[in-house]
Amino acid sequence: MRHAVPGRSTSEHPPVIVTNASGNPTAHMARVCAEPLYFPSGGRGLLGWLHSPVRPDASGMGVVICKPFGNEALCSHRAIRVLAQTVADLGIPALRFDYAGTGDSAELDPSSDQIHAWVSDIVAASSELQRLTGVQRVCLVGFRLGAAMAALAAMQCDRIGGLVLCAPVVSGRRYLRELRTTRLASLVGAGESAMSADGSLEVSGHTLSSASVVALGEIDLTTLAFPPASRMLIIDRDDLPAARSWSDGLTRSGVGAEYLTLPGFVRMLMIAPQFAVVPQAILAAANQWLLGVEQRSATAPPSENRRAPVKPCPLALELPGPSGKRDAMIRERTVTFGEDVELFGIATEPQHGEPRRRAVILLNAGADLHIGVGRMNVSLARSWARQGYLALRMDLAGIGDSPTRAGRPTDEVFPPGALKDVAHAIEFIRTSYGISDVTLAGLCSGAYHALRAAVANLPVSRILMVNPENFFWKEGSKLEELQLAEVVRNPVIYRQRILSLAAWRRVLSGEVNVWRVVKVYFFRPLLALESKLRDLARWLHIRLPDDLGWELEHIDSRALRIVFVFARGEPGIDLLHIEAGSSIRRLGERCRVHIIDGADHTFSKESSQAVLEQILSDELFAKQPRLAEVTRAGAGDSCVERMR
Amino acid sequence: MSIRTTITTQFQQVAVEQKRKLATLTDDLKLIDCGLDSLSFALIVARLEDALGVDPFSSEDATSFPVTFGDFVRLYESVAK
Repeated sequence: MRHAVPGRSTSEHPPVIVTNASGNPTAHMARVCAEPLYFPSGGRGLLGWLHSPVRPDASGMGVVICKPFGNEALCSHRAIRVLAQTVADLGIPALRFDYAGTGDSAELDPSSDQIHAWVSDIVAASSELQRLTGVQRVCLVGFRLGAAMAALAAMQCDRIGGLVLCAPVVSGRRYLRELRTTRLASLVGAGESAMSADGSLEVSGHTLSSASVVALGEIDLTTLAFPPASRMLIIDRDDLPAARSWSDGLTRSGVGAEYLTLPGFVRMLMIAPQFAVVPQAILAAANQWLLGVEQRSATAPPSENRRAPVKPCPLALELPGPSGKRDAMIRERTVTFGEDVELFGIATEPQHGEPRRRAVILLNAGADLHIGVGRMNVSLARSWARQGYLALRMDLAGIGDSPTRAGRPTDEVFPPGALKDVAHAIEFIRTSYGISDVTLAGLCSGAYHALRAAVANLPVSRILMVNPENFFWKEGSKLEELQLAEVVRNPVIYRQRILSLAAWRRVLSGEVNVWRVVKVYFFRPLLALESKLRDLARWLHIRLPDDLGWELEHIDSRALRIVFVFARGEPGIDLLHIEAGSSIRRLGERCRVHIIDGADHTFSKESSQAVLEQILSDELFAKQPRLAEVTRAGAGDSCVERMR
Repeated sequence: MSIRTTITTQFQQVAVEQKRKLATLTDDLKLIDCGLDSLSFALIVARLEDALGVDPFSSEDATSFPVTFGDFVRLYESVAK
């Protein structure tokens, strides 16, 4: 097994092109080197990835990629990573990065004007790219809100050689309306207002402060005093083009603005990462345009184009510790580990001299990268590090910033190599930090992988499982196929509709997949029967295959702490009851089940995220190996329930 | 094309794009059970503004989202009058 010493890492991608179920290329490029790094902006540390051509040409141009906001940044991670790689493959260095208070970057004062800070971050990223690579000019490539902020940043920077604006937010007011609608729709039946009392706006776990809401409302690219750059490519959405008239106005005023509408934005930005599709046409158009700009600028003598690059110093991100004192900081480092694949993670280290040696590994939920939905994994890691834990948020192979195993698709939610990846992470923590008390935590598929690791006897002390939807997975299955969670969830809904005339009309017209409904009804009683048979087999001490109850009792016999946390209404609750049956009753308080009201599957709202964090922290800090009986968890509307 | 048909078409199109299983769209169907998430609804509302020329949620006074599909259709029908 090969380990990287905690610190800066370098990864070279294998010369293999494979695709995921959505046809996404994984990467490609033996000629490209991708390297994570930290750089300063306004006194805060930002995480970036520099994609460098191994043999850079002398054009002297680099590209900074400006991400969209919130959930769109999570969904588009793969596409943005591929864009950075393909740009570097053209011989142009590319820097992608996280704005302050987003992704893996340092926090931003929650009341500050984020828009102003993020525009400054783009300017800082441009300077950093110049410092690192020696390029003289920078092109900014922005998506959605990132495109609008790129345009604003370009007006503050004298070295911007061009702008590529993809589905740009031309009107901040219209974008705010869209965010408010998203928020309103997420609150159906909750009786809450879209805007909070202080004027801030939370969307899918990402909050814009009241100052940011005001600043965003003032963005109107059509009223800029002067064009943001002399060369621009605007790639608009084909379904909702919004920048045409602005582009026409720029052309009339003599700016070299090219305008295209292309498909692919919805599937790039607005769909869960495991289903997201890299928009090949958009990337190809952007790359072709950048190449044209780069070739025009390469006509100048190389000595005028390029300064000697400066290599970055290895850096860790220093963050306030529990006391906030300078000498009690916690630190984050990018790390790589693994054997056949160089897995990527961020280790958040407790303050120096922490005597307790314990760690927690945060696993991917679905194909979301290591930061988690609503940046929950970052928040948990930093909170737990302040309380003495080493926290590692990692990407399984093929997800986020970890490379894909040869021959496997990208963004696999249940990759067969996951167990191996978790084993490597545990070994990395043991050998690099000398820690053997390791907890695994994960949401949805992350919970599944934590369970599988414990069943496989990997050396862990606790498993914290949030909203698992399945406890077994057959290699070769597809997410779109009928899963047991649907069998458990749907009969009630189907029963409500069976007397509906409109529903029958749709059945007869072929709009409803009747076979799927029949299967749901057919499987449900079979599940109940199977549950009884498994109970009987356990009573007779006969082990059946895929027996969750037996597995949980086996884990318990090794004195592992088993914790489930569910949002109320999750199918996993019934599924646990059905599949583990009498074992749950036997385990009693040794298999703890929390149910949280008012939360969705991904705990996307800040309020439910806070309750979840409190429960997980309580369980993490409970004394090992067993906790005395607890009847109420300490936060919000949650309760600890015994499954009966 | 009627407002109801336009809305139904948008629900179906977004469900296909987002790889989501759309429930049968009846008036009493709760939107929370229809299979779409909040991002999908934002996309539907934006496209309906493009198609119908109205956005019932554009006012800062809009404080709630319809509960059922029927409520959603009726809201658009009332605003489009």
